[in-house]
Amino acid sequence: MSSRTTASGWLRGTTIRKGGASSSSNSTRHTTPQVQSTSSTIFGGGVKDPSGRTSEYFSMDDQCPVCKSDRYLNPKLRLLVSACYHKMCESCIDRLFTLGPAPCPICNKILRKLAFTPQTFEDLGVEKEVAVRRRIAKDFNKHREDFPDLRSYNDYLEEVEDITFNLINDIDIPETEARIAQYKIENAAVIELNAQRDEQYAQYLKEQEEADRLEREHRASELRRLEQEEQDEKEQSRQAIIDKLETSDKDAIKLVARSRAEALKRASAKTTTPAFQSSSRLLRSRAAQSTVIPDVPHVPLQDDWYAYEDMFTMRSNYDDPISEAVRKDREGIMRAGGYVVEEAWERALRSAVAGLDIPPLQGIRSADPEVLQETNTAVAAVS
Amino acid sequence: MDAVEKANAERQRRWTKEAKIGEGTYAVVYRGREVATGRKIAIKKIKVGQFKDGLDMSAIREVKFLRELKHQNVIELLDVFSSKTNLNLVLEFLDTDLELVIKDRSLVFLPADIKAWMAMTFRGLEFCHRNWILHRDLKPNNLLIGADGQLKIADFGLARDFADPGYKMTCQVITRWYRPPELLYGCRYYSTAVDIWSVGCIFAELMLRTPYLPGETDMDQLKTIFRALGTPTEEDWPGHKKLPDYVPIENFPKTPLRDLFTAASSDCLNLLSKCLIYDPRRRISAKDALNHPYFFALPYPSHPSKLPKPAKKDSGGHAALEEVDGNVDFTGSGPGVKANPPNRLKRKLSMEDGGSRSIARRLDFTAKS
Repeated sequence: MSSRTTASGWLRGTTIRKGGASSSSNSTRHTTPQVQSTSSTIFGGGVKDPSGRTSEYFSMDDQCPVCKSDRYLNPKLRLLVSACYHKMCESCIDRLFTLGPAPCPICNKILRKLAFTPQTFEDLGVEKEVAVRRRIAKDFNKHREDFPDLRSYNDYLEEVEDITFNLINDIDIPETEARIAQYKIENAAVIELNAQRDEQYAQYLKEQEEADRLEREHRASELRRLEQEEQDEKEQSRQAIIDKLETSDKDAIKLVARSRAEALKRASAKTTTPAFQSSSRLLRSRAAQSTVIPDVPHVPLQDDWYAYEDMFTMRSNYDDPISEAVRKDREGIMRAGGYVVEEAWERALRSAVAGLDIPPLQGIRSADPEVLQETNTAVAAVS
Repeated sequence: MDAVEKANAERQRRWTKEAKIGEGTYAVVYRGREVATGRKIAIKKIKVGQFKDGLDMSAIREVKFLRELKHQNVIELLDVFSSKTNLNLVLEFLDTDLELVIKDRSLVFLPADIKAWMAMTFRGLEFCHRNWILHRDLKPNNLLIGADGQLKIADFGLARDFADPGYKMTCQVITRWYRPPELLYGCRYYSTAVDIWSVGCIFAELMLRTPYLPGETDMDQLKTIFRALGTPTEEDWPGHKKLPDYVPIENFPKTPLRDLFTAASSDCLNLLSKCLIYDPRRRISAKDALNHPYFFALPYPSHPSKLPKPAKKDSGGHAALEEVDGNVDFTGSGPGVKANPPNRLKRKLSMEDGGSRSIARRLDFTAKS
């Protein structure tokens, strides 16, 4: 397997080597710089693949730009990337920087030996962008929920993109750095909170994955067990038939038919055993369900409610001796508790007019126009 | 047998008792069926004779108000009959309650689910208020959920009618965690706003999956509230310093709700903050809440049949007791005074899985740094 990947790598002229796994190149340099990028360093610490290892870029055409040594002259050639994104080989790094910080032979920036990192991408521009984005994402970790509306969230994203672009292309570096520092000071609490939340979420995902994996394993072993059982049973029943045929003097065809029927019954009983239910399936069924029954828009009141409001008009004040005390104490204890005098008046009025439009019962003497008129005058009096 | 007894016996024959599913201090609850249709019902048998003053107050309240109310989001009282010396209430049978749903950690709530539950709660409450009834004991435990997912307000044992001028009302109502500050300050004249505060607390609890304002004592409750929402000033709540039990409490700063409810939409927080306004007269009404943009925004509220429900477990014991009606409480403190000592037993339970008990305290963290 590994020889085949190497071969295809040879053909393409490139191959990806796992940084953690390759020991041949590492053995030459025990002090291989493995600097974790901190918030103030802008360079890639190597990009990790899903298994958690760093894959390192490696090509047959590699040549050290400093000493011009290439893979033909030195098969163990390993190029590392400096903080200013220039490649050089390990022996050049050893030669130049062992005695302490020294200028980069290409751009004269002062470099340290420890600040060299393995290369992941063929294009160093990508290498730099990944590093910059990683650094920026650490501080600019707000989510959509942290903003009142979409507009401000988009503005924020644009600002982040501006800063990233400046850092990648070396535009106004001091000013951009100042902007980042300013943001960090202003949003320290939110950044901390979001970092914690993201971490929790990552943890949760990991746990979920682990649980899913365990379940899969469990299911597989269960399946294997069932298969084994089935096989054993088949073997047993075959043996039983042979034994019976040997010992009993009944009709052979009948015996075989009966044992077949028994086997069938057992099999059908087995299929009714409950299947596994995974949480992901549960969620999926929830999602599937949501398309079957559509959610309907909100309707505030779902009963037909008639407030008799057309039958009376509330006045702003009534001569009401009972609620006199309440009205006198405008700012006092009755008002502070939320007691509303108007509610009492409204209730009285509504009770007075409720039922006025219900026709009188049939067959009762009072159902004549005279009484109706009386009720009408009562309504008029109330309003 | 006189006519009344005959009518009563006839009524009794319409219902069958099947199994006892719970017992409280003043009532035993049975599962049963309607003989004619086979429909599942619950029978709440109220113990009479233990009380010197006759029938218990909360039973009277329950019958008095439930007889009048019929709405899809209010529990239905189907019938009342007496057997020997007992009073029997025949109620709609409901599978579970919102507290069990919140506590079931295997359930995932979508924002649309919370919206649906809130809409149903407000609809039921609006119906009560429209009919001049204060519930006065709203909490997740009293919001029952039927097989079809409809949420129904239950337990009218502390309910009373309001808007009669001049009558003093008691301030010892509503389970402490859901009790509004005006009642904690001993206010004797109040209105629908007390129920809205409780709904606000339930709203927050649905999002947090743990009680929002869990105070240990009445004093601590006020402190917990102020720690979460800031100490009110005279401007926030005019006149509150003149309330009978007013005590000055240290000044807590106002922290935006956004700090705690980080994932909520702004509509959602707007409605929540309007439910938790200190001045009861400015607190949103149930009717206005139903017309709040939160309910009209996407996502639409989930269809009731799609709302998450806890898996069926044992059909006897504690859970079943709450299933029918939260009016039976475990503490044995007796009905009516339930508000005074809220269920300690249950609080312990919710603490263990919640991890952080005092939610309000978590706010300090962001404020400091």
